[in-house]
Amino acid sequence: MTHPKTPHVVDARYMEPPEPFVQTMEMLDTLKAGEKMLLMLFREPHPLYKVLRQNGYTYETELLADGTFEILIWR
Amino acid sequence: MLSFENAPPFAAPLRFFLTAPLFSLAAGLLLLAGGPDLLASRWTPGLLATTHLITIGFMLMVMLGALIQILPVVAGVNLGNPLRVARWVHVGLALGTLSLAGGFLLGQPELLSAAALILGLTVAAFLAVTGYALLNVPSTSPTIRGIKLALLGLAGGVGLGVTLALAVAHGWAIPLATLTDLHAGWALGAWAGVLLAAMAFVVVPMFQLTPGYPARPGWLFPGVMLGLMLAWALSAYFDSVLAIRLIQGLTALLGMAFLLQTLRLQMQRRRARADATYRYWQLGLASAIFALFMLLTATLWPSLGELDGWSQFAGILLLVGGFMPFIVGMLYKIVPFLAWLHLQNHARPGLPVPNMNKILPGVDMQRQLWMHGVALVLLLAAVIQPDWLTRPAGAALALASGWLFYNLLGAALRYRQHLEEAARQAAAA
Repeated sequence: MTHPKTPHVVDARYMEPPEPFVQTMEMLDTLKAGEKMLLMLFREPHPLYKVLRQNGYTYETELLADGTFEILIWR
Repeated sequence: MLSFENAPPFAAPLRFFLTAPLFSLAAGLLLLAGGPDLLASRWTPGLLATTHLITIGFMLMVMLGALIQILPVVAGVNLGNPLRVARWVHVGLALGTLSLAGGFLLGQPELLSAAALILGLTVAAFLAVTGYALLNVPSTSPTIRGIKLALLGLAGGVGLGVTLALAVAHGWAIPLATLTDLHAGWALGAWAGVLLAAMAFVVVPMFQLTPGYPARPGWLFPGVMLGLMLAWALSAYFDSVLAIRLIQGLTALLGMAFLLQTLRLQMQRRRARADATYRYWQLGLASAIFALFMLLTATLWPSLGELDGWSQFAGILLLVGGFMPFIVGMLYKIVPFLAWLHLQNHARPGLPVPNMNKILPGVDMQRQLWMHGVALVLLLAAVIQPDWLTRPAGAALALASGWLFYNLLGAALRYRQHLEEAARQAAAA
C-alpha cells in the first residue's frame, strides 16, 4: 500500500492490539536512511509515541475527518 | 518487545474492578430486603440508597479506577504514584458510598454529612491529581479533550451532590427537586456520558474493529454537553421551567446522536464473532436510546413524566440497562488484556503466558451477560408490577453482580497463580 506522504505504510485501522505496534516496529527496522513511514490508526498510540521518542524517532500526527490518525515517522 | 513499563501496576485498577460488583450486589440485596415500597417513587430513601450504590459504588468506582489505568495509554499522562492514588481513592469511594447509602436508609444526618465530606474530599483529591497531570497535555485527540471536560463534569456533579446531601442532612431550604435533576444531569451527562464517549472513541474501533468516529462531531460532543449543563444550571438559577425542559430535550437528543452513531459503527464492524463485549454494548445502546427517548418525550409532554413509575423505568433503563452494560462490556476486555499484558513481563521458557480466553473464558462472560439481561427485564417489570416482582428483581441483580465478581476474581486468581508459578521457576533456575 502506498500513500502520497510515503510508500511505506502500515494501515492498522482494523487490526487488534498489539498488531499495530508489532507491524510498525517491524517496518521501522526495514527503513533506509532518510525514509519515512506512515501508520494509520483510529486512535493516538501514546505507548508507541514513548517508544519512538526513546529510540530517537520523530513523528507528526494528523487527524483526518473520518477519524483516522495519520502518524508520519522518521529518524 | 512490547514496552509497557509506564503502565501502572495491575493492583491499581484491579481493586476498583473487584469492589464495584459488590456494590451493585448490595443494591440488589437492598431491593430484595426492601420489597415493593422501595420502588414507589424516585424519592424513597431505599431507592435513593440503591441508586447511589449503583452510580457511585459501581459506576464511579470502575470509572476512576479505569482512568488511573488508562491515562498513560490514551493521553500519554503518568500520575506520579498511581498505586498510592488508587489506594486512597478506592477507600474513600467505598466508605463514602456506604455512608451515603446508610444515611439515606436510616435517615441519619450525621452519616449523610460524613458521606458528603468523604466523597467530596476523595473526588477533589482525584481531580487535583489528574488535573495537575493533564494541565500541560495538549488536546490532540477528541479523547483527551473529552476526558478533560468530563473531569469538569465530575466536579459539577459531585459538587451538587455534596450540596444536596448537606441540605438534606441540615434541612437547608433549597429547591431539592430542581437541584436533584441538575445533579443527575451533570453526573450522568457531563461526567459519565462525556467520559463514556471519550473512551468509546478509542475502544469501540479497537475492540470491535469498527470504523472510527468522525473527528468533528467527536470534537464537539463534550463541549456541547458541558455547555448544555451550564445553561441548565443558569435556567435553574432563574427558575425558568420552560428553559430547563428545552435543555433537557436537547441533552437527550445529543446523547441519542452519540448512541446512534455508535450503533451505526457497530453495524460496520469487521469482527464476525459476537463476543460478550459486543452484546453488552448492543444491550447498552438499545436501553440507553430508549431511556433518552423517554426523557425527550417527557420534556415534550410533561404530564407523561409525572406518571407513576415513569422516572423509575427510565432510570433503570439508563443505569442498569445502559451504563452498567457499557462498563461491564469494557471490563470484560480490559481485565483479561491487562492480566495478559502484565504477565508478558514474566514470560519464561517453558511457561507460556496463557491467552486471554484462558484468563477469562468467553462462555463465563456470556452466561453472566444473560443473567444481567434477566435482572434488567425483571427490574423494569417490577416498576409496573412491584408487589410481585421487586424482590425477584433484586435477587436477579444481586446474582448477576455476584457472578460478575466471580468472573473477575477468577481472572485475578489465574493471573496470580501464573505469577507465583513464574516466581517459583525463577527461584529454582
